[in-house]
Amino acid sequence: MSHAIAGDFLSLLATRQVSALKVDAAAAPAQTQATTVFAFHFKDGVLMAGDRRATAGNVIVTDTIDKVIEIDATSVLAIAGVPATAFEMARVMQTSFEYYRRSQLQQLSLPAKVRALARLLRENLPLTMQGVGVVMPLFAGLDQSKHPAEPKIYFYDPLGAQFQAVGYAASGSGSNTIRSVISFQERYGKPPPSQMSLGEAVQFTSRVLMTASEFDAATGGVNPETKTFATIKILDANGVRTLSGDEQLKHLKP
Amino acid sequence: MTEEPYRWLEAVGNRREYVREQLKGGSPAFAVKLKDGILVLGVGSGQSKVFELFDRHALAALGHPADIEKIRQAAIDAAHMEAFTRAPEDVSLRRLISFGLSPQLKTNFEQIFSAPFLIEMLLIELGAEPESDVVVRLHYDGAFQISTTRVTVAASESDREKAAQDWLNEKLAGVEDRKEVAQRLLEAWWRLVENKEFSADVAADWKNALRDKIVEVGWLDRKANRQARYAPLSPAELGL
Repeated sequence: MSHAIAGDFLSLLATRQVSALKVDAAAAPAQTQATTVFAFHFKDGVLMAGDRRATAGNVIVTDTIDKVIEIDATSVLAIAGVPATAFEMARVMQTSFEYYRRSQLQQLSLPAKVRALARLLRENLPLTMQGVGVVMPLFAGLDQSKHPAEPKIYFYDPLGAQFQAVGYAASGSGSNTIRSVISFQERYGKPPPSQMSLGEAVQFTSRVLMTASEFDAATGGVNPETKTFATIKILDANGVRTLSGDEQLKHLKP
Repeated sequence: MTEEPYRWLEAVGNRREYVREQLKGGSPAFAVKLKDGILVLGVGSGQSKVFELFDRHALAALGHPADIEKIRQAAIDAAHMEAFTRAPEDVSLRRLISFGLSPQLKTNFEQIFSAPFLIEMLLIELGAEPESDVVVRLHYDGAFQISTTRVTVAASESDREKAAQDWLNEKLAGVEDRKEVAQRLLEAWWRLVENKEFSADVAADWKNALRDKIVEVGWLDRKANRQARYAPLSPAELGL
């Protein structure tokens, strides 16, 4: 028990020759938790996108899942991790934010929304520690204390720590690949993502997802020929809107 | 005194009289079913009269602000609880009123030692098609009617309410323009609060009467592509 601290519960188990609880990962049900979601600031606001593939082990479950979810008119959630937990978190947020707005006749502030998600992640700690319920979401919301309202991006660790992203944030199994791509574009790109128009941002998003799908089997790509598009939501001073496949196609045409 | 049945009946009758007296002069509320959605309108003096309840549901009321608030909160609580435990599609006005609000209001009204609710309301549910829209007229004693007409009015006096409703249904037959609808509703509001006859051909002076008032308009949008279909509209947005 070299990693046990003298006097703690694990060392007590060791001295009494009782083996600590072990989770047999192989015995756990297959999880659908691989994905690529990301968000970045562009000229008009924030673009949040995700691929549409869900996998369980090496099985592709579906290529039509929406991982970028509109929580209310001014906030969006992108989920990476176990869908069962993540979708339930989205549902709790949708209901509680709308309930607050309708009953109190005012919007919940952005810091309160950001913390609400942090609290849900903290409450999910037991499942996270067991390795069967980890969720690492991205959140984008409109800061209405500013005039005009400013969209902001936040990312989280599985325990609920929240961080504001300056330029971009990514999560999921394909995020390592695209983080490098976006970082490169941010530093050397002409234009960098923050200066892109909507059309350029949509084109960039699709290319980033195609790149992620090259390196990560669990990320579905974008293929206009087969009408396979990303889920893209735009958050600007007017709120959230979804970019349909047809709108994306319009921007992808040369 | 309540051990004698006729005393109880008398007490209930007194309550009815008291509530009607208190509601006199209350500012009426209106709902109009249109092709693209439902327009809800109320005129207040600072206190809100038109509210969003849930994704496809709204409330417009006249009465004591504290009582409106209690009913509003109860309806919002019930709708969100239902949506969370089941699904947003399962929230229905029929169930909300029949099993929730109406029995509570009736019980409260008949508890003669507690204060009655001073309230008259319209509850509105947007359907997928105009034919499936539901507008319910709910009274302070829990009685309610599902409206079968295009325009529904909630006012403090039932005779005047019916006259306004008949007049509006005639004037607004086939009218889909929201500005025109709102103007007619404001004219009806002016006739109601100024005690003008609906049969008489009088020059409506509602613009002057609105000087120190706040016009509240709610729009339940049938074509909106998000879950929450309710949007408040300013008079400027309506072109008033």
